[in-house]
Amino acid sequence: MEAIAILKTLNLTKKYSGFSTKGYYAVDNISFEINRGEVFGFLGRNGAGKTTTIKMICGLLIPTSGKAYINNIETINPLSRKKLGYLPEQPYFYEYLTPRETIDFYCKLKGINSRERKQEWLRLSELLDLKVIGDIRLKNFSKGMRQKIGFAIALVGNPDFLILDEPMSGLDPVGRKHIRELIHQQKELGKTIFFSSHVLSDVEQLCDRVGILSKGKLIAIGHIQEILQQDIQQVEVIIKDLDISQTASLQQKGILIRKWANYVHFRFENILTANQAVAECLQKGATVIEVTPQKETLEDYFMRMQIVEDNQRKKDDIYYSRVEE
Amino acid sequence: MRIIAVAQNTFRESVRDKVLYVLLLFAGVVIIGSKPVGWISIGQDIKIIKDLSLAGMSVFGALVAIFVGTSLVYKEIDKRTIYTIIAQPLHRYEFVIGKFLGLSILIFGVILLMSIISAIYIVILGGEINHWYFLASFLILMKLWLVTALAVLFSTLSSPILGAIIVFCFYVFGHSTGVLIDLPPHFEGSWSKPILESLYYILPNFSNFDIRSEVVNGVPVSYSYVLYSIIYAILYSTFFIYLAILMFQRKDV
Repeated sequence: MEAIAILKTLNLTKKYSGFSTKGYYAVDNISFEINRGEVFGFLGRNGAGKTTTIKMICGLLIPTSGKAYINNIETINPLSRKKLGYLPEQPYFYEYLTPRETIDFYCKLKGINSRERKQEWLRLSELLDLKVIGDIRLKNFSKGMRQKIGFAIALVGNPDFLILDEPMSGLDPVGRKHIRELIHQQKELGKTIFFSSHVLSDVEQLCDRVGILSKGKLIAIGHIQEILQQDIQQVEVIIKDLDISQTASLQQKGILIRKWANYVHFRFENILTANQAVAECLQKGATVIEVTPQKETLEDYFMRMQIVEDNQRKKDDIYYSRVEE
Repeated sequence: MRIIAVAQNTFRESVRDKVLYVLLLFAGVVIIGSKPVGWISIGQDIKIIKDLSLAGMSVFGALVAIFVGTSLVYKEIDKRTIYTIIAQPLHRYEFVIGKFLGLSILIFGVILLMSIISAIYIVILGGEINHWYFLASFLILMKLWLVTALAVLFSTLSSPILGAIIVFCFYVFGHSTGVLIDLPPHFEGSWSKPILESLYYILPNFSNFDIRSEVVNGVPVSYSYVLYSIIYAILYSTFFIYLAILMFQRKDV
């Protein structure tokens, strides 16, 4: 029977030791699974241990203890990476190669034969629109184009499992949109995608499940719909043509966020107060332009988790990643 | 196939290294410039040109092996190009062997080019070239492959500058191993004696590959000696590459 989990980590730990300083845990005993066909977002602040975890999974770093498995093969075995595509944060390539030569090289490393290598170039150049730039050396490429090449390398051999480390980092809005579309496209094709990002709106849009890492520890994991509070947190209302003198009573019910031209923007704590405010405005002859109920976003959840974690650490007098005892 | 892919790429990368062309230029200057040096020794000019040409191949080939070799693995880690390579289904030993083979092929090309150019130059100047001249070049190539293996080992351990200094020391001491066997009797009872004796057995003896003066002066060299030198180079290189693989096997990149 085919295993459901494509990636499994068991007490995965990476400790860095210094000659003169005490060692610290960059990744501290984390265990989680990613199921086949799901898109998993890996979140955390800078230095939380996301890239270290990804590097251990991809065989770049040797775990201090614990294990990781891809398709039930331990990641220290290169065969575990046969069906894996990896896009590192800020990918680096051989500057003297062209995109065509680069794809050919990675096809060889994946063990793809000569005839299939040509087809692979055609497939990837079509998918990522690389044909025009196929014979230009990579040293002349912009950040966005490099990211495209990095994505193409990750897709060499049409892998089932993609690991993308900050795929949108440093890209302009157009580049970000393009990469987001590519991830979405791969999701539609049924690929399993594990990606880390700081852009929480993208993660919320693309991921089925998320894991939050803080100072090397996995502090939360779950389906987005399950972890976010589904109740309406606040209601935002935009009103037009409301007399300034009449805003005072509304300010008792909610918070005045912004005032511009003949518009006012209010935030109310719950739907009941918002309804009362809307009725009052209509009665006074104002026009209600927009009523937006606000649910908890991934960003809200992330911030909430960080505050809880920071408070706990302050209580325990631990401010940094766990230090060697 | 993966080893060949890494080797091809390393060859392509090394060919683009500016150090190679600077050293090749110097080697060319030494070979061509050997003519005026030959004038100093009356009637011996062809011998001097042959001698300097072979010495030029040895020294400049070693500099290519040291300077390019000690940065091979380090540069991949430093420039982070290794990330997407190790993330492929590639064994780490395949990467190290591929790197070594790529540079070895380049050095083969460099020595082949220099020996052909110097042979043509000698023939133009009226000298004679026989197969022993090319066998001497081949033994130089064997020595350079050994130096390359040593350089690849240090490229997995240290920065290119430190690695180059260490390998250069190995190269210099490896040419003077005779001193290491002659000196110990003078240090009887001192701690220097066992150190010098141990060094004699640890350091590769690069003099084994030097049949330059025999070839230049027409002194016969046995084929069994040539074979012995080839086996010596293969065994030592294999040992150094094995150590490089061991060092790289559990290295964080």
